[in-house]
Amino acid sequence: VEAAVGHGSKLDVCVLQLLHMSVFSQSFSPCGRYLAAGNNYGEIALFSLSAALSPDATVQSQKPVLTFTAHEGPVFTLISSDCHLLSAGNGEISAWSWTELIKKVTVSLNTQQPGKQHDLIIPEINAMIINPRDNSLVVGGGDNNVHILDLEHGVFKSVLQGHSDYIHCVSVREREADILSGSEDGAVRIWDSRMDQSVHCIEVYKYESCARPQYGKWISCVTTDSDWMLCGGGPSLSLWHLRSLSPTSIFPLTGCQRQAAFHQDMILAVGDGPFVSHCLLGGEVKAQIPCTPQSLNTLQLNTNSTEHRVLTAGGSSDHIEVFTNLSYRAFSLSF
Amino acid sequence: MSPSLFNFIDAKDKFTVRNRKNTEKKTTLDQALRGVLGDQIQKTSCDDYLSLIYLSIDAVTEGICSATTPFVLLGDVLDCLPLDQCDKIFSFVEENVSTWKSNSFYTAGKNYLLRMCNDLLRRLSKSQNTVFCGRIQLFLARLFPLSEKSGLNLQSQFNLDNITVFNKNEQESTLGQKHTEEKEDGMEVEEGEMGEDDSNFTFSSIPIDYNLYRKFWTLQDYFRNPVQCYEKFSWMTFLKYSDETLAVFKSYKLDDMQASKRKLEELRASGGEHVYFAKFLTSEKLMDLQLSDSNFRRHILLQYLILFQYLKGQVKFKSSSCVLNDDQTVWIEETTKLVYQLLREIPPDGDKFATMVEHILNTEDNWNGWKNEGCPSFVKERYSYDKPKRPTRKRQAPEDFLGKGPDRKIFMGNDELTRLWNLNQDNMEACKSDSREFMPSLDEFFAEAIEQADPANMVEDEYKVVRNPNYGWRALRLLSRRSPHFFQPTNQKFKSLADYLDSMVSKLAKELPDIPSEEIKTGEEDDDDNGDNLLKDSNDSPSMQSKMVTNNQMDEIAAKLGAEWKALASHLEMKAAELREIETDSEDVDMQAKLLLVAWQDREGAQATVDSLVNALNAAGFSQIADSLNEA
Repeated sequence: VEAAVGHGSKLDVCVLQLLHMSVFSQSFSPCGRYLAAGNNYGEIALFSLSAALSPDATVQSQKPVLTFTAHEGPVFTLISSDCHLLSAGNGEISAWSWTELIKKVTVSLNTQQPGKQHDLIIPEINAMIINPRDNSLVVGGGDNNVHILDLEHGVFKSVLQGHSDYIHCVSVREREADILSGSEDGAVRIWDSRMDQSVHCIEVYKYESCARPQYGKWISCVTTDSDWMLCGGGPSLSLWHLRSLSPTSIFPLTGCQRQAAFHQDMILAVGDGPFVSHCLLGGEVKAQIPCTPQSLNTLQLNTNSTEHRVLTAGGSSDHIEVFTNLSYRAFSLSF
Repeated sequence: MSPSLFNFIDAKDKFTVRNRKNTEKKTTLDQALRGVLGDQIQKTSCDDYLSLIYLSIDAVTEGICSATTPFVLLGDVLDCLPLDQCDKIFSFVEENVSTWKSNSFYTAGKNYLLRMCNDLLRRLSKSQNTVFCGRIQLFLARLFPLSEKSGLNLQSQFNLDNITVFNKNEQESTLGQKHTEEKEDGMEVEEGEMGEDDSNFTFSSIPIDYNLYRKFWTLQDYFRNPVQCYEKFSWMTFLKYSDETLAVFKSYKLDDMQASKRKLEELRASGGEHVYFAKFLTSEKLMDLQLSDSNFRRHILLQYLILFQYLKGQVKFKSSSCVLNDDQTVWIEETTKLVYQLLREIPPDGDKFATMVEHILNTEDNWNGWKNEGCPSFVKERYSYDKPKRPTRKRQAPEDFLGKGPDRKIFMGNDELTRLWNLNQDNMEACKSDSREFMPSLDEFFAEAIEQADPANMVEDEYKVVRNPNYGWRALRLLSRRSPHFFQPTNQKFKSLADYLDSMVSKLAKELPDIPSEEIKTGEEDDDDNGDNLLKDSNDSPSMQSKMVTNNQMDEIAAKLGAEWKALASHLEMKAAELREIETDSEDVDMQAKLLLVAWQDREGAQATVDSLVNALNAAGFSQIADSLNEA
């Protein structure tokens, strides 16, 4: 959002833009001192965590140090590799160098498009994840397929086909080199990345304990801890044991959960509702920490730095909530 | 106490024998004792000092030493000894509190004791010698009476020196490598502070919420000096910071019951002493840990409650400008509720704790009120026995009660009863009085019916009053009491009460002289005529029929009846009770007979005709008397 200086109409437009802003994605820099956040206007903002967390932080420290337009459409997903920030939204994947970004140079290094280049309809990209085993990028999007991009060479290696509807989220199982994808068709597919084949297909909505037909069958979040998997969306957020492919705990959270994460012996989940839910592995909801945005889309824990080890959550607001202590909201960064 | 090698009695005798004034002798002994103690210090053990002091106490009791000496000696001892030995001496002081409170010692010694205890308290550290400090305080509480003003914070002053220091800017931050000179500058952070100048010890730094940190510890300044809250600007700051802090407490719920229970058990098992911190540890690194600690939260929330109690309460020494406005009062009310709710949520035993706190604060209100009244003594005064006696009221003489007074009224104690009693004392008599005679006479009652029966009036049957069942019933009753026609046997069969009454009415119409009526034609005239004829047969002159029996006639009959009056009585339908009454009333049979006739006349009233008497006489078998009556 351009700095609002001067004209009243411009100010109003800016204010309106802020009002309608949603944050879809976040990623921490490899050094852990910066946070990149992508919104629905196609902008990426860079926040300095060290400034915001310092003892003499001011309101200005909670504003981005850099904002630039990365894509034409919303930035649905952001992911950081060792030195690059990868962003994707309306069908293009752009790569940015972190060091350059920190220097406020916003030139994208590379832009890719999965699938056939000459397609008229460019499907959006909803989720990306880096598979550290073979340094590849797993991409899932609107064309119902999972594409794998080799980061070394910058070319697409393979396409995993199987879903019948667009893909919401992807995750990797590091030990087994499996890829998990959750889709609008209600299935979670487990792919063997070496064989490029779907090994399992879990149709979550078919399990009575999880199913919530009033919300639908779509899977909006998938995350895995090698032996365990969390998935949720239309059906309730549930913890699955991957060896037996059966649900172990169901979390009684109202609304659909859009992102979930394992943290120590707890599960953090965000979705509908202005709070971050803390759940225990057994299935009970331990706490719901209130936040400002009415619903949250993304949740990230900064594991790259201990000094700035914060939890950030963004959603249907121009504010990104920062938690220094998981149990209460400390302050907000804002676009 | 060590066995006395010192022969006290002898010594005392020798002492008092000398020819000097007692006071001078006393001061000599005082000085001697002090001197001995001075020599003994550091050379002998505690027990010896104690025995010397015991000696001085006995001396005071005997009167050979001034009362202040034991206290002076104690003071000297405590001043010269290190703290660990002071403990022992102090135990001695505690044990003898009853001695100190006794009359001979109290006035002389209380100030010395107070000074001594205060000196000790100043020497001791509140966090390291907590128990000893407590013992001293308890001793003082036992020594002085409840309303001793030296123990009170009369003017409700605050300890303004109790400043909580925290890192206000980066220079003082302990995150850097700053060293000891910082500490001396006045960071009064006590033991437990992480060794930031210990370079060997590395620990991962964690992100710190400075915003909350600063706001949180700033609140302590308001708790230190509550009077600030009355100023508008400081109040706004206080409000803002409090709201934020309490919001954090609210969202950060302590519900880890498992962990805290385990911790408690560990503590109990290890037998560790409860640590008491006199001042808060305010390092920012501890903030997270402090927030997750139940006891810490309880401290802060309790501080809020105490502050609110002060702000709301009436304290005599508050200046008149210290008044809360409406907004402030409302905010305080809401926040108090929130604070209690938060207290209840803190495990373990949150509910119990909250109730306890509420109770204690209520008690504090009482103490505050007591102070406002100038600390009145709690000793109840005894009643003095020589209170002047109230003059007793002269009671009314009994005669007045019983109707012998000037009013001749009998007082029943109640106005209504008195009125009723004085109307008529005898209930039975009152019932018999004429005014209670409610039975109407025949002519009164039947006047209307007779008039209706008159064909000239042309009253239709259905409107006749005899058709009214109520009227009919009453008519029957009246007839049974007053009219002989009621008892006359008749062969007529009456279809209804109304018909019967019609016939009765016609009979009565003939009899009752007042009501002018023509001959009423009835279908039952034959019977009536028969009846009349029967009567006529027994009566020579019809005019005699309705004649009343006169007194003379009654006298004559009575004389003739004599003792046989009882036979007539049954025919006159006299009750047995009445007969008995007649018998008791008079011995003379003639009189009795007269009484019988009189009674009969009374009862019959208008029906006491010669006719009926003659019938009765005939029925009884006194036909001669009947005849004579007829002739008369």
